Amino acid sequence: MELLECKQLSKMYDGKIALQNVNLTIPRGKIIGLLGKNGSGKTTLIKLINDLLVPSYGEVLINGEKPGVNSKKIISYLPERTYLDKSMTVKETFKYFSEFYDNFDTEKAKELLKDLDLDINLKLSKMSKGMKEKVQLILVMSRKAELYILDEPLGGVDPATRDYILDTILSNFNEGASVIISTHLIADIEKILDEVIFIDKGKISLVSSTDELRNKEKASIDEIFRRRFKC
Amino acid sequence: MLSKLLKYDLKWIYKAVIVFYALSLIFALIGRGLSLIENSLLFGIISKVCYGIVIAMLISAMINNLMRVWARVVRNMYKDESYLTHTLPIEKSKIYLSKFLAAIITMFTTVLVSAICLAICYYSQENIEFLKSMLEIAATTYNSSVIGLLISILFVFFLEMVFILMVGVVGIIIGHKSNDNKIVKSIVYAFAMYMVTQVVSVILVALFALFNPNIMNLLNTVDIVPIDVIKSLMYGANILYLIYVIVYYFIGKKQFEKGVNVD
Repeated sequence: MELLECKQLSKMYDGKIALQNVNLTIPRGKIIGLLGKNGSGKTTLIKLINDLLVPSYGEVLINGEKPGVNSKKIISYLPERTYLDKSMTVKETFKYFSEFYDNFDTEKAKELLKDLDLDINLKLSKMSKGMKEKVQLILVMSRKAELYILDEPLGGVDPATRDYILDTILSNFNEGASVIISTHLIADIEKILDEVIFIDKGKISLVSSTDELRNKEKASIDEIFRRRFKC
Repeated sequence: MLSKLLKYDLKWIYKAVIVFYALSLIFALIGRGLSLIENSLLFGIISKVCYGIVIAMLISAMINNLMRVWARVVRNMYKDESYLTHTLPIEKSKIYLSKFLAAIITMFTTVLVSAICLAICYYSQENIEFLKSMLEIAATTYNSSVIGLLISILFVFFLEMVFILMVGVVGIIIGHKSNDNKIVKSIVYAFAMYMVTQVVSVILVALFALFNPNIMNLLNTVDIVPIDVIKSLMYGANILYLIYVIVYYFIGKKQFEKGVNVD
C-alpha cells in the first residue's frame, strides 16, 4: 500500500481552479521536493492532504484511508505560518504535543532546543518570528512520523538559518519515513532530494527522481526549474 | 482526548473572564463589608459605588464570556491555530463538542458567580421578605419555594445565553464555509438564525394560544396576566430553549463534520 495517493484531486475556489486533476503517489523512505512558483498550488495540495481543505473533486488516501484520525497520527506537518498559541511557553507547547501525539519525543525536543540556546520557559509571544518557526520545526521533527510535510520551511529566513533548518530536518526525521518539502528556493535543498514534483498552475507538470532528471537534462534541478518556469 | 481539548479551551476562555469574576467578588465583599458599618454616610456611598462596580463587572463577565467563546471558535477552528487543531489526531465531532461544552461550562459559572455576587451584595432578611412577598404567589403556583423559583428563573436565563452562544457558533461555522468576508457572513448568518428562531417562537406561542384561552387573552388584551399563564410560558420557554440549543448543536456538528476550508 502506498503511503500517500492523490486520485484526480481538484480544488476550486468560487469557480477558480487552484488544483486540477492531480494524480500522485508518494512512496515510503524518500525526500521529495514539491517545487513550484508562488501561487502554483503547492500549499493547496498540502492543505488537502492535511484535511485543512475539502476537495472539490477526487480524493486523498493516506495508507489507503481518507484523511482522518489515523492519517493525522502518522503525518507531522509544518505549515508556513505560526500555528501555536502565542500565550504558551515553549515548555507548554512540548506538553501540548506530548498530550495529543503518542509519537512525540519530549526528550528529543529538549535536546534540539538546547542547540538554540533558548529558555524553555520563554513565552512564544516574546520570541521573534524566526525563533517561533524554529520551535515549530523542533516540535514537528520530534515526532516519530511516517510522513513529514514541510510547507516552505526555508521561506523568509537567512542563509545560516536555512542551514540550521535543513540540518535539523536531515538529522531528525524518522527512519523509513518520507519527507515532502514544498519550496521555490530549490538551490538550497536540491542536494538532499530523492525525487521532485513540479507543480504549475494547479497541475503536476513533472514527477521524477532527481538523479535521473539531472542526467537527462544535464543541468541542476534549480536550472531545470528556472528553464521550465521562465516568466 | 476530549478532556484534554476541553482543558485547553476552558483555560483560554477563563484566562480573561476570571479577572471579572475576581473583581466582582472582591467589590461585592468590600461593598457588603462597608455597608455593615453603621451611621457612616461616606462608607454608605462607597458601598453603593462598589455595588455599581459589581454590576458593571458582571455585565463585562457575561459579554466577555460570549465574545471569548466565539473568538476561541474562530481562532482555533479557522485562523492560524486551526492548522494545529485540525491536524491533531482527534475526530472533528470531538473538537466541536469541546467548544460546546466549554461554552456551557463557562456560561454556567458566569451565571453562578453573578448569583453569588448579587447574594453577597443584597442578601438581608428584609430583602428576602420583600422577595418572598413578590414571588410567593408564583412560587405557590409552581409548587415550589421562592429559592426554587429564583433558581428556575436563573436556569431560563442560562439557557437563553447558551442559545445565543450556539447561534453565534453555528453562524461562524456556516459563515466560514465561504471563501471571502467570512466574519461578516458569520455575523449575518448568526443574526438571521437568531431572528428566525424568535419568529418561530412567536408563531409557536400563537399556535399554542389557539388551544389555550388564557394565552390568547395574554396576546389580545392588556389585562393582568394570571400566574398560571406565566407558569405555562416559563415551562414553554425552558422546553423551547432546550430544543433550540439541541437543534443548533446538531446543525453545527453536521456542518463542521463536512470539513473546513481554513484561510
